[in-house]
Amino acid sequence: MDETATKDLVDLVRRAQRGDESALHELIVAYQNRVAGFVFAITNRRDQVEDLSQQVFIKMVRAIGGLQAPSQFESWLFRLARNTCIDQLRRQKLRRIFLPFAEEHENIAEPAGAVDTEELDALRHALAQLRPQDRALLALVQEGRSHAEIAVVLATSVAAVKARLHRAREHLREHYQSNHEP
Amino acid sequence: MNPEEKAWDDLRAAASSRLRPGFARGVLRAARGPGAGAWVALRSSAAACLRPGFAARVVRAARAAAAGPSYASQLALSAVTAALCLAAVLLLHQRNQRLADERNLAEWRAIVAFAQEIDVHGR
Repeated sequence: MDETATKDLVDLVRRAQRGDESALHELIVAYQNRVAGFVFAITNRRDQVEDLSQQVFIKMVRAIGGLQAPSQFESWLFRLARNTCIDQLRRQKLRRIFLPFAEEHENIAEPAGAVDTEELDALRHALAQLRPQDRALLALVQEGRSHAEIAVVLATSVAAVKARLHRAREHLREHYQSNHEP
Repeated sequence: MNPEEKAWDDLRAAASSRLRPGFARGVLRAARGPGAGAWVALRSSAAACLRPGFAARVVRAARAAAAGPSYASQLALSAVTAALCLAAVLLLHQRNQRLADERNLAEWRAIVAFAQEIDVHGR
């Protein structure tokens, strides 16, 4: 992001912090596609993209007043998104333990017309083989987050982030095949 | 073709028949990993899941959530309700205890009076 774009973003965030509805609207429009992609990469579920993206932005609207450094907005937003998705996956896991039949309802086939291209299908298949934490890590990198920023999000060191990222990329590459057969 | 060459050919044919269709492309994919195009496709596919008017709906939902009761107020209301229920149970218990004591005392008084009467007549 260049200097002018960063300044514009900071101004927009400051306006949103003062409760300006149009600034909040602009921020959501500016980031909705990226957040949706991020959510999809972690959950791998189309039917949850809108709900989870909405949850992320509602949290953003409620908490943006407390954001100390508006220049860190992007990093902060994707941290919110990551935590929201991981919490959701944990809840689903718990629900599966206590309500074994719920799994059936969570695996409803996607509607016709939602057919992926071969490339996207391969990526989704590969992502589905990774742990949610690793999917989040790769998605954060795709969103342009630096190793240092990711280290802050995951409360770990930069070296640990690099090591985990290396492993996650290796696994992704291993599973990145168009054919789903083992 | 001599028998040895034929045997090698058969071996190659048997081995290659074990390869899945699109093997070469699969190997290249696995070697290179997903390119930028795959991630762009993922993001586009996800963006298509958002219905029109998403931003306006989110702002409205956030305002509605902010206007509703906060977690702290809900917690306070729960605590007050629990305290009132406990007080009601204690009061009811005390009242029942007092009534039972009064009833027992009256019965004892009757027994004592009856015993005294028997004692007087006995003498």
